[in-house]
Amino acid sequence: MPVGGRKQPPVATELENATVTSSLSGREWELPGMWNRMFESRVLSGYTTSELARISSLPGGESIEWCYGCGKCVPVCPVDLVGEYGPRKLHRKAQTGVNLLGDADLWMCTTCGNCLRVCPKEVDMIQIMPAAREAAVTDGIMPPELQDVFEKTFRQSNCLGENPRRRHAWTKGAGVPVRILASDPRPVDVLFYVEDYWSYHPRGQQAAQAFARIADAVGVDWAILGAEEKTLGDSQRTAGEKGLFEALMEDVVATLGKYTFNRIVTPDPHGFNALRKVYPTYGHNFDVLHYTQLLAPLIDRAEWAGSVEAKVTFHDPCYLGRHNGEYDAPRRLLASIPGVELVEMSRCRENGYCCGGGGGGMWLDGFNSDRVTERLSERRVKEAAETGADILAVCCPYEVSRFEDAAKSTGNEHLKVLDIVELIDAAMFPR
Amino acid sequence: MTDKPIVVIGGGPAGISAAQTACDLGAEVVLIEQRGFLGGTPIAENYASLTPHMRSAEEVVGAMVERLTASTSLEVLLDAEVTGLSGEAGAFALDVAAGGAVRTVDCASIVVASGFRHFDPGRETQMYGYYEYPDVIALQDLEAMLKAGDVRRPSNGETPKRLCFIQCVGSRDRHIGNEYCSKVCCGVASKEAIEVREAIPDCEVFIFYIDMRMYGYWESQIYWPAQERHHVQYVKGIVSEVLAKGDKLLVRGEDTTMGRPMETLMDMVVLSVGMEPSAGTRKLAGILGVEQNKYGFIQAANPPLDTVSTSKPGIFAAGAALGPADLEDCASSGAAAAARALSAARMVIGA
Repeated sequence: MPVGGRKQPPVATELENATVTSSLSGREWELPGMWNRMFESRVLSGYTTSELARISSLPGGESIEWCYGCGKCVPVCPVDLVGEYGPRKLHRKAQTGVNLLGDADLWMCTTCGNCLRVCPKEVDMIQIMPAAREAAVTDGIMPPELQDVFEKTFRQSNCLGENPRRRHAWTKGAGVPVRILASDPRPVDVLFYVEDYWSYHPRGQQAAQAFARIADAVGVDWAILGAEEKTLGDSQRTAGEKGLFEALMEDVVATLGKYTFNRIVTPDPHGFNALRKVYPTYGHNFDVLHYTQLLAPLIDRAEWAGSVEAKVTFHDPCYLGRHNGEYDAPRRLLASIPGVELVEMSRCRENGYCCGGGGGGMWLDGFNSDRVTERLSERRVKEAAETGADILAVCCPYEVSRFEDAAKSTGNEHLKVLDIVELIDAAMFPR
Repeated sequence: MTDKPIVVIGGGPAGISAAQTACDLGAEVVLIEQRGFLGGTPIAENYASLTPHMRSAEEVVGAMVERLTASTSLEVLLDAEVTGLSGEAGAFALDVAAGGAVRTVDCASIVVASGFRHFDPGRETQMYGYYEYPDVIALQDLEAMLKAGDVRRPSNGETPKRLCFIQCVGSRDRHIGNEYCSKVCCGVASKEAIEVREAIPDCEVFIFYIDMRMYGYWESQIYWPAQERHHVQYVKGIVSEVLAKGDKLLVRGEDTTMGRPMETLMDMVVLSVGMEPSAGTRKLAGILGVEQNKYGFIQAANPPLDTVSTSKPGIFAAGAALGPADLEDCASSGAAAAARALSAARMVIGA
């Protein structure tokens, strides 16, 4: 019993053409330029299991196909608020036949972990992204600026491509002696792993010098590796260069094996994450602290010669907070500084908004600039400014330069961006 | 104990459960079934396995039937149809046509378990082409294929490489008049999707849906394993038409997540048809004089806590005669209706 009769065979193609014809001259243009829906087929048609199967077959990629589309990740994804990328969309794009390994979306995730925090199905971008990116990198697919960083890291063991022998150049301006293990290999309590930005970036060096003065003043027995230090490379790993990370780890473990120390302390939440979470999966176990965790219990010993009379807001680093659960140590330090009034941004602690630097984002601002309406750091700086704060305090070496740039570009030059150690330093040793 | 029997009308899962409970409680039971066998729709429609536990329908229902028919206080009338009712609670007289003759069954109370039927996709207002395209089938058609261990495209006998389910066919629709959710189709489609993936590992399976309604444990029993272990692809967006394209089917709809139209080719399309009152349920409601709701299901008279009483004292309903129900609902309400039927009979006797 046919119902409704036989229908006409369909015409399925509904492609919109990316050629524009001038109504005056009749001349045709192939329109180049940015991705634009107008120039693509509106109709999605490539539904397939194969793209998801490819990602989910990678170790760590399994959960990509667990998404049931609830959308809880959308409002908490820092990138989704400023661009087209979103965790749920990534799953759906793959389902509609898009090759993720060749798609710009692959590089836009900062691995901030906020989607995983809210995901009822535990779709784990923190595992998926490094796995999928590794597959892309293996095929030679990656943004050129990321490739540049990988090459610098490979050659110089730091992401900035700086001279490895100048790792400890910053110590000269510290004003206190900084012990270097190569020349004084006696056992030490704290091995301070300076990492790249505090070693080389001018603003990072200032923070490192501040840390040296504070550590000295509160009686920490500490030393650094100096020229022997190589980056831990956690962001290179999350950006897809697992091989490079593993090679670095081999060298790092060998170097660490030469010395006797109780614990490693680092200012870099990414390096902290590598030592705390990733190294153990390779059988390398160290006691590791973020510098805020080292200083928080010792800060009562500080003698305050001055104060910081300011409203201060604090940005939680993703890899210290969400990834490793430390929200209180930085706040304890801030609360101890005379004069500081801490005001929280509405998105803080577990729900902290990402600065955009994680997962390789630190090195992809150019790549991302074509794909987002504003940088994550700009969005974050605006939030910080809205609190009425004078100072945006940070404790991740990526953030000072990111937020200082963003404060300028968003017209919030009045907002100073300072590492927590710089604030402590200013109150202990006023100039 | 009442000397009059309890009558159960309908020998599907709910009716079997009701009859079993009444027998267990010591009542004489007459079970009236219009078909020539017990087991109801799962058997009549060749279900391969039952949702969510995926055990063979024949085994599960067969075990129910076997246990029931061992009861000594049970009389089963097959190929039998109720044609009239007189009397009142405690003293009903039911006319039953069976074997070319009409006999009167005296009974104390009645349980109606006359079930549902699958929505006829020919009535669907979307253009799914169930009767036009051989490769467009319904859930129960695929069940029969799965039961036979032979899933193939009806049009050419080939093994499908791409198969999709379209949810909410005949449900949640004002045009059709079925404004309710049929409750089980999300789970059944997902269960069948798993079975197709197991039977044909290189067949891509998609489910196009408005909402996945996987209530309670079905979420983790069926939905999540289908997606996570069997790689069934769930696409949020319903299909509004199926068109022939070459020897394949073009399904067209909206991908609501992406906010874009979608169209993709399939070898087979399975319509997740909903539940409607069976012809027997509609007819019996009239004969017995119990109220129906606007969809034709028997109206439970005192919801929410009394789920099995009808508008007529002494007559109770169970299973999918009351509305969309899964097998566990049917077993539960069958037992509840039997207990209520028996207690009603005793109250009348005692009065």
